Amino acid sequence: MKKRTVGALLAGALFSSLLLTACGSSSNGGGSSTSDSGATELTVWAWDANYNVRAFEEAEKVYDKEVPDTVDLKIVENAQDDIIQKLNTSLSSGVTDGLPNIVLIEDYRAKSFLEAYPDSFFPLTDVIKADDFTDYKVEATSVDGENYAVPFDTSSTGLYVRTDILEEAGYTVDDLKDITWEKYIEIGKAVSEKTGKKLISLDVNDLGLVRSMINSTGSWYTGEDGKTPTLADNEALKVAFKDVKAMYDAKLVDDNSDWSQWLSDFNNGVVWSVPTGNWITPSITAQEDQAGKWAVVSFPRQELDGSVNASNLGGASIYVLNVDGKEAAAEFLKDTFGSSTDLYKTLVENIGAIGSYIPATEAGVYDTEAEYFGGQTIYKDFAEWSTQIPAVNYGENTYAIEDILIKAMQNYLKGDDLDKVLENAQKEAENQLK
Amino acid sequence: MKRNRNKTIATYVFLVIMSIVFAFPFYFLIVSATNSSIDVTNGRMLPGGELFNNLKNIFSQTAMTSALKNSAVVALFQTILALLIGSAAGYGFEIYRSKGKDIVFNIILLSMMVPFAAIMIPLFRLFGKMSSISPMIGINSYASIFLPYIATAFLIFYFRQNTKMFPKELLEAGRIDGVSEVGLFFKIYMPTMKTTYAAAAIITFMNSWNNYIWPLVVVQSTEKQTVPLLISQLGSSYSPDYGMIMAAVLVATIPTLVIFFVLQKQFVAGMLGANK
Amino acid sequence: MKKINPFLKSKIMGWLFVIVPTLLIALFYFYPMVEAFKLSLSSGKGNNLSFVGLANYKRLFSDPVFINALKNTLLFLIVQVPVMVILAIFFSVLLNNKALKLKGLFRTIVFLPSVTSLVAYSIVFKYLFSNDGIINKILLSLNILQEPMAWLSDAFWAKIVIIIAITWRWTGYNMIFFLSALQNIDPEIYEAADVDGASAGKKFFNITVPLLKPVILFTTITSTIGTLQLFDEPMNITQGGPGDATTTISQYIYNLSFKYTPDFGYAAAVSYAIVALVVILSILQTRLGGRDEKKSK
Repeated sequence: MKKRTVGALLAGALFSSLLLTACGSSSNGGGSSTSDSGATELTVWAWDANYNVRAFEEAEKVYDKEVPDTVDLKIVENAQDDIIQKLNTSLSSGVTDGLPNIVLIEDYRAKSFLEAYPDSFFPLTDVIKADDFTDYKVEATSVDGENYAVPFDTSSTGLYVRTDILEEAGYTVDDLKDITWEKYIEIGKAVSEKTGKKLISLDVNDLGLVRSMINSTGSWYTGEDGKTPTLADNEALKVAFKDVKAMYDAKLVDDNSDWSQWLSDFNNGVVWSVPTGNWITPSITAQEDQAGKWAVVSFPRQELDGSVNASNLGGASIYVLNVDGKEAAAEFLKDTFGSSTDLYKTLVENIGAIGSYIPATEAGVYDTEAEYFGGQTIYKDFAEWSTQIPAVNYGENTYAIEDILIKAMQNYLKGDDLDKVLENAQKEAENQLK
Repeated sequence: MKRNRNKTIATYVFLVIMSIVFAFPFYFLIVSATNSSIDVTNGRMLPGGELFNNLKNIFSQTAMTSALKNSAVVALFQTILALLIGSAAGYGFEIYRSKGKDIVFNIILLSMMVPFAAIMIPLFRLFGKMSSISPMIGINSYASIFLPYIATAFLIFYFRQNTKMFPKELLEAGRIDGVSEVGLFFKIYMPTMKTTYAAAAIITFMNSWNNYIWPLVVVQSTEKQTVPLLISQLGSSYSPDYGMIMAAVLVATIPTLVIFFVLQKQFVAGMLGANK
Repeated sequence: MKKINPFLKSKIMGWLFVIVPTLLIALFYFYPMVEAFKLSLSSGKGNNLSFVGLANYKRLFSDPVFINALKNTLLFLIVQVPVMVILAIFFSVLLNNKALKLKGLFRTIVFLPSVTSLVAYSIVFKYLFSNDGIINKILLSLNILQEPMAWLSDAFWAKIVIIIAITWRWTGYNMIFFLSALQNIDPEIYEAADVDGASAGKKFFNITVPLLKPVILFTTITSTIGTLQLFDEPMNITQGGPGDATTTISQYIYNLSFKYTPDFGYAAAVSYAIVALVVILSILQTRLGGRDEKKSK
């Protein structure tokens, strides 16, 4: 009785677990399948329910109006970092089961994925008109002349400022238009003296500010080939480092170590300026009692030739994976994000997302006045600035090099010599990234 | 007597201070779940009136209900199977000790020492192959989420160590009474080791419930997502709703707490099945 | 079922109990481990892997990031494990006292940290230790500090924050193992000691600790393994920073596999470095534990 009991128990447990999995839905085959109405089912991986996921939902609506019952989008939401992990795991294991048709990838990572998994992505050169999209996005998402993505949100940067605090210190918004970082710091010092408010909130583990500074001068961590580290003799990088140190030295920086703390710093008026990508708008407007007290001016530029008052921080684009359903996916993207001005109008109105599709800007889609910002047409401003962003090859090693530079910045802030610190970083980068 | 009383007071004071230290983040969690997002980022320490709102948002805007169901199913199967398999092995290695088995045991221990990240991709590939045998055990099935965890060196090691404290005379007595070998395990060992099983159940349930990396990799559809994956999504946004996130985390934490509170009653001093 | 040689029967029974777990572990752990080892002999971006023999392992020795991560991990280990095990034993004995009221409540509270989700407590810890966080406020008001300390942006103090976080989180977890083990100690032993007039301290060191040895060994080894694979706290509280002051080996593996352009081969090699470390340390700990076992007999 006993041996049979054990056997029965174990068998029972395993059997019922199998039974249960049978009750659950079976796994999705890699790529697409056809649903009952004959529509092709396309799986999309995206993050941020209020932003990207909504964008795809709106796109599906637009597409359904044009060609009803052709495509059925299954949007699987996952955190951005999680998508990177899943994608890397799936692509490197060679298991196509469960790969999505469409995936959103941040521009800084684009080349990295495209180079690491050649053949895994479906070229979209014939699907979208590259000229219709802002330069820097097309550059980021192409390899060897082939476009692999439909550029999505422009993370063009701007300088958000508190007009009331400026006034208190005797300045106007115009004093901050089209300025350099040095002027910005100068004004920051004056404002701090008069009002006690700090200028900016920074996280020591994030060099986003440095990235956006050098992007505006057409420079990056790596050279034009996207591989060679350019840290040692990089004027833009040096100036960026100097400017950041100047902010710390003048005690204009409030430290934060978490996204929520960063938000809290400007929501609570601890700092009066936020130089960052336009996706921060909803977080700023969340502080209702500051309505009418904010304005957005162009991003400061570096004191170098060729630097402009425009830059990028973040932003993603839409890719198609080389699995079943790729043609249907490409068609879908072509008629929505690839060419529909109506879609972009809906996106900016419902989500606040600013696309990189130039014809939409020209059609006046972004001309709404934002009440919170005193009626300023911020979306139009951001869209216009985005066309000035210098196109730069983000390369494959942005994050790896940034980790090295974070250490360099730490040492520099502690007092080490700038040239030495960057030279060491250059050597370390060369050693690590062969 | 006064010395005893002072000692008792000191003990309670110490415990209260420790409780504050241990419970403070949890207090913050509860308070934040009752506040709106902007209040949470402002570091508000007092409860607000948004709890109902936050909960409503979670259950209407996110797939929390199905995530809870999925996590529960996986945790249930994982806990029951893991306890059964782990204790049987721990028992076997210790009671029927032999040189051969000791070698196998030590090799098994090795598997505990490899960081999961290293075996994740080959494991994923393995399940990819299993998909072609049957979708019920392949990628995106319930089984794929818990199968790698039902036989763990951790539990085997745990049960073996605790079996060392088990009075083997009881087994002899059982044999004399005519109980079969297998019967000894179920009728004598299991009841005696109740507290060991209770601790193992808490830990296994918790590990299963909070398991993040493997379900992330192997779950491909929204219907199968578990709670940790859901919470991770909520945080990945340009403008996260922190009140909602904290409320979701609170909802996610309650099952483990309940299980712990119920099972820790087993840890009552003097309750020794063996010593009747 | 009659005259089977009892010796043989015992052998078969023994293997019957362990065969299924062993096979499952072989399938889900050892097979991938072998694959991972093969992977560690190649290198390259993503899917562009090529065989490089032991080059990855050689690279470990001259990789400053790895060496730094190794130092950090070992530091956490040496400080952490003894502290955590001792605290866990301490709390378990304290909360095992029959006369203590509200035991269930206190035990749940001590266990609370390990149940509190990573998301929640990492945000809280970052708040607590921020420049205008509570810890600074308290220390300032007690005049222990003159200026707020930048806990998370200082290489040394960030490590301390991590150690505090891990201890806070895992003490309750380890306490469970000791609590359950304490139930299996025959109270008659304690009663006999009371008759002999033994003090609480003597009872603890001469009865409780020796009887708990197997569980102490268990928690020491599992805490060691856990700390060597430390990932959650540095990842979420300090992001391995400032710079790489709190980067651990597991974090480096994650970065190599997912944050940077993936080099899965090298990441696998780093993983095996952890395995080697764990094996060495576990053997050491078992030897030490085993020797004591023989002594007490």
